[in-house]
Formats: sequence, structure tokens, C-alpha cells
Amino acid sequence: MEVKLHDIGEGMTEAVVLSYFVKKGDYVKADQPLVEVQTDKMVAEIPAPAAGIIQDILVPEGETISVGTTILTLEAKSPPLVETMSNQPNVTAESVHLFAVKKEETVCAKRMIERRVLASPYTRKIAREHGVDLEQVVGTGRGGRITDEDVYRFIETNNAKQTNHSSVAGGGTESQSFEKADDNAPSFSVIPFRGRRKQIAKKMAQSLYTIPHCTHFEEADVTELIRFREELKQQNFHISATAFFIKALSLALKQFPIFNARLDEEREVIHLKQEHHIGIAVDTEEGLIVPVIKHVESKSLREIHEEAKRLTKKAQENKLTLQEMTGSTFTVSNVGPLGGSIGATPIINYPEVALMAFHKTKKRPVVMENDEIAVRSMMNISMSFDHRVADGATAVAFTNYFVRLIENPKLMLMELI
Amino acid sequence: MVVGELAHERDVVIIGGGPGGYNAAIRAAQLGLSVTLIEKAELGGVCLNKGCIPSKVFAHAAQKMAELPHIKEIGIELGHASFQLGKLQNYKTKVVTQLRQGVEALCKANRIEVICGKASFLAEDRIGVESGEVFDVYRFRHAIIATGASYVSPPSINIDHERILNAYSIYGLETLPSHLLVYGDDYIAIEVAMSFKMFGSQVSVITNDGTFGLDEAVAKELQRIWKKRKIKLYQHCKVESVTSSPDAVAATLKTATGETVTVEGSHIFVACEAKANVDGLGIDRLGIQRTEQGFIEINYQAQTSLPHIFAVGDVTGGPMLAVKAIKQGKVAAETIAGKQSEIDLTFLPTIVHSIPPIAGVGLTEDEAKAQYEDIRVGSFPVAGNGYAGIIGQKDGLVKIISDAKNDVILGVHMIGVGAVELISSGIIGLEMAAREEDMKFPFYPHPSSNESLLEAVESLQAEAIHLSPAMQKGSKKKAVSR
Ligand SMILES: Cc1cc2nc3c(=O)[nH]c(=O)nc-3n(C[C@H](O)[C@H](O)[C@H](O)COP(=O)(O)OP(=O)(O)OC[C@H]3O[C@@H](n4cnc5c(N)ncnc54)[C@H](O)[C@@H]3O)c2cc1C
Repeated sequence: MEVKLHDIGEGMTEAVVLSYFVKKGDYVKADQPLVEVQTDKMVAEIPAPAAGIIQDILVPEGETISVGTTILTLEAKSPPLVETMSNQPNVTAESVHLFAVKKEETVCAKRMIERRVLASPYTRKIAREHGVDLEQVVGTGRGGRITDEDVYRFIETNNAKQTNHSSVAGGGTESQSFEKADDNAPSFSVIPFRGRRKQIAKKMAQSLYTIPHCTHFEEADVTELIRFREELKQQNFHISATAFFIKALSLALKQFPIFNARLDEEREVIHLKQEHHIGIAVDTEEGLIVPVIKHVESKSLREIHEEAKRLTKKAQENKLTLQEMTGSTFTVSNVGPLGGSIGATPIINYPEVALMAFHKTKKRPVVMENDEIAVRSMMNISMSFDHRVADGATAVAFTNYFVRLIENPKLMLMELI
Repeated sequence: MVVGELAHERDVVIIGGGPGGYNAAIRAAQLGLSVTLIEKAELGGVCLNKGCIPSKVFAHAAQKMAELPHIKEIGIELGHASFQLGKLQNYKTKVVTQLRQGVEALCKANRIEVICGKASFLAEDRIGVESGEVFDVYRFRHAIIATGASYVSPPSINIDHERILNAYSIYGLETLPSHLLVYGDDYIAIEVAMSFKMFGSQVSVITNDGTFGLDEAVAKELQRIWKKRKIKLYQHCKVESVTSSPDAVAATLKTATGETVTVEGSHIFVACEAKANVDGLGIDRLGIQRTEQGFIEINYQAQTSLPHIFAVGDVTGGPMLAVKAIKQGKVAAETIAGKQSEIDLTFLPTIVHSIPPIAGVGLTEDEAKAQYEDIRVGSFPVAGNGYAGIIGQKDGLVKIISDAKNDVILGVHMIGVGAVELISSGIIGLEMAAREEDMKFPFYPHPSSNESLLEAVESLQAEAIHLSPAMQKGSKKKAVSR
């Protein structure tokens, strides 16, 4: 049986295969999520159409595929009861289909029974009302029965931890872990929590749950940069500050490749990436989106500037293609132009190692080398990094290097190849 | 949106007034929400108008027919008994009308706005209702789709509703079939076969596997009863085609051994596959997710992939049962009102109003064996129950399955008088995660059919009083060694 990328709505035509939850030879239950794919609007999980064994995985992770492409193949192997039924020679596939209702009933009952927890409906309700997943609760009652007290004890000891209470019935899939309706009595302000908003939420939570974040702050004197940009303007070159930041960043990443990496905890390796694909966080009406400038390490300032401009515009018009939104190895967020913020603790664009945010540039009195006070244009930088992968000292050295380039933009000439 | 179009604002708009829809409406109203219920035909849906209720009117009459010999036996002489299907149809109409008026009155008492018309989604927060020349638009915060499902003919058989009938038309017959062929594998097929047999039709059942999704022992007892009642059973057969002439039908079957057999009758009933009623509903525009079979996908709160739109009942697939639709309707309404509700179909009972009735909940013996290492099986024949002897209805058995490791009850299955009522004890036991002692300890009224359940529980450990030791040990050993 072929498992294909089917149309998951919103007019999508293609998707990137993000990650597999299964491997070849795995036994899967019907509706068990097999693979996570990303479209330009959302991340979705593709569930197993039937119980069976994964025969082959056809599309590698990271590949973009169009609707209709076969992602993997599955050898359907029914749960035991149905199996005995279909073993009877007279029952053809067609005749089983004719009585689909009955067959579903069987599958349903079987799947559901696996969720059985030994608790009375009253106790189960207490659990629901507190968002407790009863499968996590250890029953102290006789025969392993979960009592009201067990649930309350669980709530107390797990107060800090948020238990995720998502569940799907009727052949649903995990991707369908729909939200609860609002808790209180109805009010007329409901914002649908799905599409991009939901995807952002998912990614942020994943990042923060996985990565021990450490953020450190730095300031950069951008007076020279401003002056240099003016000079270029005279020559009719309009290069944005962001382009300079990205260029400087790429140069710094060459020195400190550990921040352009990906940690693979399972295999116990850190992959250092050769290419610098820099994501730029862009604020749009629908929320945050991150277009990616590929291969910054081999692009000129002017190319970076043009591309950033083009991508930002497309982002705002909601016209980015999937390729333009995936594959970043490091992400920057330039919140300066938005007018506010002197510092932040940005959340890393998982599975990257670090993210840098540039804040508002402001004229400030600064004590110069010669102890004179001068009016300088100062900008704050916040850099979050994955403390599993790098330590504070490395991060400081990295930002120092970066700041030096920003403060003396002409130094970047030294890096011309 | 059309200029000048007027939108009415509602907390909850429900499409479909079947059991799923009207239960949702009443519960939502009880919880203080403003509710609009849109129904294009009649309140009560399939269940009330052409499903559960009509079929049970027939089953009820059939039960009375079955009791006639016994009535004579206890000294009541009724003279010559005859059955008139036309009169039963009148009675059915009376019952259905009364019940429907009851639903209408309840909607009114709960201040539910009931609108007659065909509804479709115009946008994520708008439903249009077409009623004759009028088209009204309703804006909602939450919507519940309860449009049900329809039976579609299998490709090889053309249901003409004259001699080739489905679950909707069989209970509309005005004249009794002389020989009814029943083709199907579900509870409706059993009910049809039994009812018409009792009315005096000759009945032949054609089935794929013969277990009808029942526990094996129950299915075996049913087959024994059919044999006694002279219902012919074509097991492991598939109907390839059906032809009809003005006064007869002929079904061509393929048997397990590959032979082709032709069975003739006056009428044939065909159990059909159900298809969600979503055509023209406009849900695909909204991107509401559907299963491969086209049913609307929902979670344990009956929410669709759009969290403010819910779906309940047959339109969501799975077992096509009103009992499920009713629960889902309530859960949807409660969730909308901010309550923590949940649908859990683990202990959804299966019932059949046959003669005698059949009921089951939880795992069958085969299912339990597949999922648990060591199980116990207890079984008690209804013939051993004193009260069954009094009322002269001794067919059947009660069977109970438990986990030998911790005594937890896994399933209860029965065929016999009172099964449909008695199963509630089993359902509550399973929901409470009862163990053998929990079911054994309480008093069971005497004399009553209830005692069959008690003795079945007792027989799990060879403690049933009205069962010979040999029979109890047998069942115990079988469970362990198999
Ligand atoms: C012969 C028979 C016997 C049965 N026996 C039993 C039984 O013993 N026990 C049991 O639990 N179940 C039984 N059922 C099944 C039961 O009838 C169904 O499961 C139940 O009716 C489903 O309820 P529902 O609310 O989902 O849909 P329905 O009852 O199908 O109601 C849907 C309603 O929506 C309306 N509708 C559809 N589309 C629109 C639209 N666009 N706009 C406005 N209105 C619309 C329809 O007119 C209909 O009234 C039986 C069914 C049959 C046919």
C-alpha cells in the first residue's frame, strides 16, 4: 500500500518532508502518525491509512515533493481479529468493504480498548477537568485502579509540567489535535488558533522545550556603518543595514562555525554546516515568518541586500514559496526598524544553534577612547544560543568578532576573496 | 456577501435534527446558549422516522407473535391469531408521530429555534438556509454538523425499493413478503430476518461470515435458534447479482467453494454501506478534514479540524448508531459551553432487537484472547434461569469475560430475554472498571432475568449455583488452555 502526500487543503501543491516518526520494518497501527510534512501554511502529520509494516521509505527528509507523490510503502497487516475474518477464503476484499461499517466497528473497539485506564467515569472527569492524561497516572487502588486521590496527587506533583491533553477519535490523526473550545462561558471574541499561528506556537514550544536557551546582550556602535552607508549612497549604492549585519554575521560564522550547526543528540554528533543559509524573521499580518537567504557565504553585499528586499516583500504579500522558507542554518531578527525594544530573549529557530536579534539604533552619549564624550549611534544586540552546543565564552567571542566588523565596516574588505 | 443580506447571530447553529442534532440542541440550550436547529425534513432524523423506531415497532410486534404459543399454553385463548401488516404500519405511524411531537415540544420548551430548510456553509462563521424561495443567513460562533449518513446501494445491486429493499424501505412494506431473502452482516439484517419470520414470511439469510460481529458463542446460539425457527442460512456467501421480475427476485450467490447458486424469493433486503451526508454542505471549501471514506474527522470532543465547528453522529463515521450520535451531540454542546466532556466509545454497546434480543459490550472472547495473556470465560444458559422458565423464553445465554490476572471484567455478551435491558449492568460495570467481585457482590432481584448475569459472573470461578460442575469447569479450563 502506497502512502501518498494527499491534498491537505488550503490549496497546497507541495510540501517538504520534515521528519519520519517511523522506520523501515516498524509495525504501525492505523492512524498512527508516520511522517511530518510542512507546506507553506502549516505542518501536518500523515497518519497510517491502515495497520501494517513499513516496507520502504521513498523520500528522504528535507526533500520537497508534490501532491500525489508516494512517500512510503506500507504492507497492510490487519489487527488480529480482522485478520481471522479475512483469512476465510470466501471473504473477498470487496465483500469486506461492503460491510465497512462492521469492520470499522471492530477496529474502533480494538483501538479504543488500548486506551483503557482503570478509573471510574467520575475519576476520569476530574482528570479531564485538570487536563491530566490518565495514562501518566499511577493507580494505587487495588488492581492498579486510579483513584480520585491519585489524580489529585498527580496534579500537585506535576503542577509545573503542563500535560498535553490532545486526543482524537473517529479515525482522527495526531495532526488533528484540535484545540479546546474556550473555557469560560461563551464570549464573541474567538481567534481561530491554526494555520500560521498554530505552527508558530508549535515551533516555539518545541524549541523552548528542547533547547536550554542562554541569551546574552551586547551593544554595537553603528556610527561608522551609518557613515559608510551614506558614502555608498553617494555612489548610488543603497545597501540596507540588515544586509551588512548578515554579511558580518556570515564572516563571524566562518570563524565560529559552531553557531552554524545542528545537534543530533540521538547519534551524539554536532553537524557543522558549510553553507550559511540565513533566515530573516519578518513580521507579517498573519504573524512571524522566516524567509531564507541561501549561501550568504558566497554572496556579495549587494546580492544579499537585493535578496533580502525581495524576500521581505514576498513575505508580506504572503507569496513565499516553500523553498524560500526552509533550510535556514542561522536566523536573524531585526526588530530595530519596528521602532522599539532595547533587548529581548529570542527563541532559537529549532534545530538551529543560535539566533541574533538587532534592536533599535539610538543616539547616546558614549565615552570614547580618549575619554571624551561623544554622540554616537548605538544598537543593542541579543543573541540566544543553545547552551548544550556552545558555552558563554564562545558566544561572547563570537559577538565581539561580529561587533568589530559592524563598528568598522571597512574591515569587511579584508574578507574579500 | 450579497449587499443587503441580513445575518442573524447565534451562539450555536446545528445542521440536522436527528438524534445527534436534537440532543446537542437541547443540551446547549440547557447550558444557556442560544440555539438554532436547521432540519430539511423532519425532526428525529433517520432514527425516529425510518430507523430505530420503525424497526423496533416491527420487532415488538414480532415478539408478540413469538409469544402466541406460550399465551395459549398458559390458558389464554385468543381464537385464530392473524397478522395484518397494514395495521402495524398505522401503529408505526402513530408511534413515530407521537415521538416526533415530543421532540418538537421539547425543542420549544427549551427555546430552541427550529428552522425548516436546507443548510450549507457560506463561510467559517456563516450558514445559509434555503427554504423554498427564501434564503436566510445565520452567523454563528459555533456550528454542529449532524447531517447523518445515507445508505448507498452496492455497485452490483440496484435497490428499487419495490422488491429489492434497503434498511429505509423494508419497514415501509405494506404487504408481507412470501419469501424474504436477507443479505447482510449487521444487526439490522438480523432484526429484519427475525421480525418477518415471526410475521409469517419464509426467510433466508445470506451472509458473508455468519458471526454478525457478535461474540462467537452468541452467534452460535443465534444460528441454533434460526435453525429451530427454520430460517435458512447461506453462510460464507456473497451476492453477485440480483434480478427481479414483477413477482419475484433471484439472487445469484458465490459460495465459499466458488460455486454459483441462485436463490429465489419474493423480496430481498440488502444491507448497504453508508455514506456521509455532506454533499452541498460546503464543508470542503472550509477545509474541514475528512476520512478516507469521506466521513468528517473529529476528536474526542467532537471538534472538526476547525475548532469552532463540531460534527456528531453518522456523518462522523464509525458505528452508525443513534446511541453514539446522542452522546456525541451532548459532548459537542458541553464542550462549546466550556465544559470538559469527552466521547469514549470503548464501551459502546451493540444491541439487536431480535427474537430473543442480543446485546454485547466490551471485548468478545476472540478480541480478549488477542489482547490479554490469560482470560477467564464464564457462561450461563438462560434455560437455567428460573424466571425464564416462568415466562417460557428459555433460549439464549449470558457470557462474561475477565482478565485472569486482576479479575477485571473485559466484556459481557448475551442473547436471551431481557438482554437489551440487562446489558446496562454490564456497561456500568465496565465503565466503573469492575472486577469479578464487584459484579458478584450486589443483590440480583429474584426471580428475574438479572440472575442469569449473576450466574454467568459466578461461573467465571465455577461458582454458579444452577450449573453442573462439569459445565463450569469445562468453560474455565477452555479459557486457560486455549
Ligand atoms: C433500520 C434502522 C434501524 C436502526 N436501529 C438502530 C438502533 O436500534 N439503535 C441505534 O443506536 N441506531 C439505530 N439505527 C441507526 C440510527 O438511526 C442512526 O445512527 C442515527 O439516526 C444517526 O443520527 P444522526 O443524528 O447522526 O443522523 P440522522 O438521524 O441521519 O439525522 C440527520 C438529519 O439531518 C438532516 N439533514 C441532512 N442534511 C441537511 C442539510 N443540509 N440541512 C438541513 N438538514 C439536513 C436530515 O434530514 C436528517 O433529519 C438504525 C438505522 C436504521 C436505518
